[in-house]
Amino acid sequence: MSTYFVKRLTYMAIILLAASFLIFSLYALTPGDFITGNIKLTPERKAELREIYGLSKPLIERYLTWMTNAIHGDFGYSLAQQKPVLTLFNQYIWNSFLLAAVSTFFTWLIAVVIGVIAAYKQYSWFDTLVMVLIFAAMSIPSFFIGLFLIKVLAVDLKWLPPGGMITTGSNAQGLAYVKEVMHHMTLPVIVMTLLGVGSLTRYFRSNMIDVIKQDYIRTARAKGLTERKVLFTHALRNALLPAITLVGFELPALFGGSLIIEKIFNWPGIGQLYMQSFGLRDYPLLMGFTMFIAVLTVIGTLMSDILYHLADPRVKL
Amino acid sequence: MKKLTLATTSVVLAGTLLLAACSNNGNEAPANSPTSGNSNVQAGGSNNSGSASQGLTDTILASDISKLPDQAEKRTDMIIVGLTDPSGAFTPYFQQSGYDGNVSSLLYTPLVTVDDEGVPQPGLAEKWEVSPDSLTYTFHLRKDLKFSDGSPLTSEDVAFTWTILNDKSYDGDSQVNTLGVKGSAAYKDGSATSIEGIKVTDPQTISVTLDKPNAAALVLLGSDVLSKAYYGKDYKQGNLDYMKQLSSKPLGTGPYKLEKFIPGQEVRFTANENYYGEKPKTKNFIYKTSEGDTWQYLETGEVDYASFSATTENIDKLKSLGFVNIVPYTPSTYSYLQLNFEHKALDDKKVRQALTYGLDRQSIYVDANQGAGVVANIPSSPISWAYTEDNINPYKFDTEKAKSLLDEAGWTVGAGGIREKDGEKLKIHYLGTKSKNTDIFIAVAKENFAALGVEFEPEVFADFNSLVSKVEGGDYDMVSFSTPLLTDPSDGLLQFVDGEIKGYDNPKFKELYEKGLATTDMEERKAIYKEIFQLLNDDLPVIFTNYKKSVYAYNARIENLSISPFYGLASSLPNWNLK
Repeated sequence: MSTYFVKRLTYMAIILLAASFLIFSLYALTPGDFITGNIKLTPERKAELREIYGLSKPLIERYLTWMTNAIHGDFGYSLAQQKPVLTLFNQYIWNSFLLAAVSTFFTWLIAVVIGVIAAYKQYSWFDTLVMVLIFAAMSIPSFFIGLFLIKVLAVDLKWLPPGGMITTGSNAQGLAYVKEVMHHMTLPVIVMTLLGVGSLTRYFRSNMIDVIKQDYIRTARAKGLTERKVLFTHALRNALLPAITLVGFELPALFGGSLIIEKIFNWPGIGQLYMQSFGLRDYPLLMGFTMFIAVLTVIGTLMSDILYHLADPRVKL
Repeated sequence: MKKLTLATTSVVLAGTLLLAACSNNGNEAPANSPTSGNSNVQAGGSNNSGSASQGLTDTILASDISKLPDQAEKRTDMIIVGLTDPSGAFTPYFQQSGYDGNVSSLLYTPLVTVDDEGVPQPGLAEKWEVSPDSLTYTFHLRKDLKFSDGSPLTSEDVAFTWTILNDKSYDGDSQVNTLGVKGSAAYKDGSATSIEGIKVTDPQTISVTLDKPNAAALVLLGSDVLSKAYYGKDYKQGNLDYMKQLSSKPLGTGPYKLEKFIPGQEVRFTANENYYGEKPKTKNFIYKTSEGDTWQYLETGEVDYASFSATTENIDKLKSLGFVNIVPYTPSTYSYLQLNFEHKALDDKKVRQALTYGLDRQSIYVDANQGAGVVANIPSSPISWAYTEDNINPYKFDTEKAKSLLDEAGWTVGAGGIREKDGEKLKIHYLGTKSKNTDIFIAVAKENFAALGVEFEPEVFADFNSLVSKVEGGDYDMVSFSTPLLTDPSDGLLQFVDGEIKGYDNPKFKELYEKGLATTDMEERKAIYKEIFQLLNDDLPVIFTNYKKSVYAYNARIENLSISPFYGLASSLPNWNLK
């Protein structure tokens, strides 16, 4: 086990190192830099500023400077926002996490329940109806459904706020604050759940259908167990196994923010921050964030491997 | 599409391009155009262009104030305005985004402000004098000025502000360091420990001497003042890094002071009791971060004020709301098509004129844009005190004239209907940013240029930065741009002298440009700029295309609201009063 971990950790370090160089080069090679877009500057001043920011240095030198600082835990200051990159993450990431965590919870819950029932009653009217609805939900673009719901629920009916995280100017504290945030996150969570639930339901349904046909299910039924017990203890547990792989992928998604949803609902999340930074070529922030996601992805993969081992002892590490 | 996560770079890049595209279309016109001094705003492309044929000229008053949403009704001592994306760097001169500039314009008052035509007016300085040789400016500060923490503001603070802008490590986009203050070069390279040209006479009087006259200096130097005690306590010549730590804790002199900044959500202001002028009539003010569409916030009463492109569609929709007053305004900018002078054909004035005649600018910028624009023919905004239409060729759309000019220039129709000269085809490689207006431009221009026998190759970018970097690389013939906010008439001409438009070299223009800056007498300058505009209108270093037209709409309960083309709402905000 411990040799396994040492090996895994070494691989992870190598992967991250390679990724960091690749990502750095990609950003550096994207046309235009932080100075280019400022149309107020004269060509002379642009050259001067590139010198100050070190953008005129060769790629490798810039990368090594960044890497040395990063290893010492210094991810630098955002060029545009003039704050340490880590402070900015801290300000924005939790908002994204809140939205993602809640909608992921509902997505999984709904997908498991519907998936199991649909599989159990395969080809019934319920199954067909669910499939139609799921395909419909999957094929509607998120910005459309988002704007549509804002129009109906916020602008016309005034049931929910059209966007943001708190009521503008509100000084709510404690419970009142929690209530306010919940009120504001309802719409984005609905949209995110609606968009995510489709593929996951289909995933669970097909897993479940495979499992139900297994011999051990027939055995369980033959033993005279109740149908409930057969479905939820014997079948579902096995059907959920492959989903562990998905758990690993969910980790970066939880912190990565959602570009479109955050933009539509004016949610102060990291996705929006990233978008703006990309337009401006705010290199320290872009690098810091992409590396953060890379680290999470690597950890997520490791996590799902370990979980696999725990859930299914047949899997050797 | 499930959650568009940022797991892989390729997805990120693709997604970014996609979204950059989304964000540009629509009828935006940022909630509030950035104030002068800082505009890193992406004014690229011909998007937001607009016009006036059937455009709005008068204020439309709210038809039915009772339609005002409850949410807006409930507010009694607070006004909320949407602002695209303030980032939290609120120190003037040290911020990168025009939206942060909007925030700091409420927190700081300049020494010298300008009125709606760009004519200088007293701010923190009650008066100023310019020496007869136009080299020395003497500012007299008002008495008893204070920063928002109650500490006194004196000429030492002004001297400090000008000094750090000339520091070698200064990385902002203030142009004070290009003025050539006497001794600033020595200070920058470290051979002097103070700037020779800046002289503090007494706590209320300060003068500054330039190496060369520059009429734009008054407004550039007469900008915001930073407290020496607050911003200068860690200052060492050649190192301004510490300024970053103060960027979210501004100490200013404006009508409001910062109460709280909630990243990505709100900037809250409250009245500054140490403001020299009258106390703001409404105690609290909020800039609400509102990416993208502000319609929904205006409709639900979450914001009191928003600005839109002046299209017929937008105006009709605003009218139907009933509870907003709608006022037209023209931002102080102009849009143009930059031409690549390294392309031999475009180096020829006749060809440039032919392309201007041959392009149906009225259709592109006015008609197709539902009146949210006017055709431009000179490098000055129509609201500027220097603007003129006297002896200006309007280059009315005229395909025949364009053809004969091209013939004169030696470009004759060859095989396939494309004009040729010395075996080379006349081809225009056009770059634009992705937007509805660029699409219109391409559709019309393609047809117009085909009629002239010019091959037109459009290329569209989703990302402004990439476009500019392609232009800098020289791989283009024609590209759509807009200027940043222009205050002095010379601002709109800078690009023709500073090497930004490579290859344009007209000694007559350069001479006039220097002359225009050499005097501070307004009437004299007016005559010089008239001559410059006539010269450039004929010379066409770029093809002038259009001026944008916007409208702003606000909750009709607000009284005394007006918008300055240079400071946006900052100058009238203290007077806003909720009925």
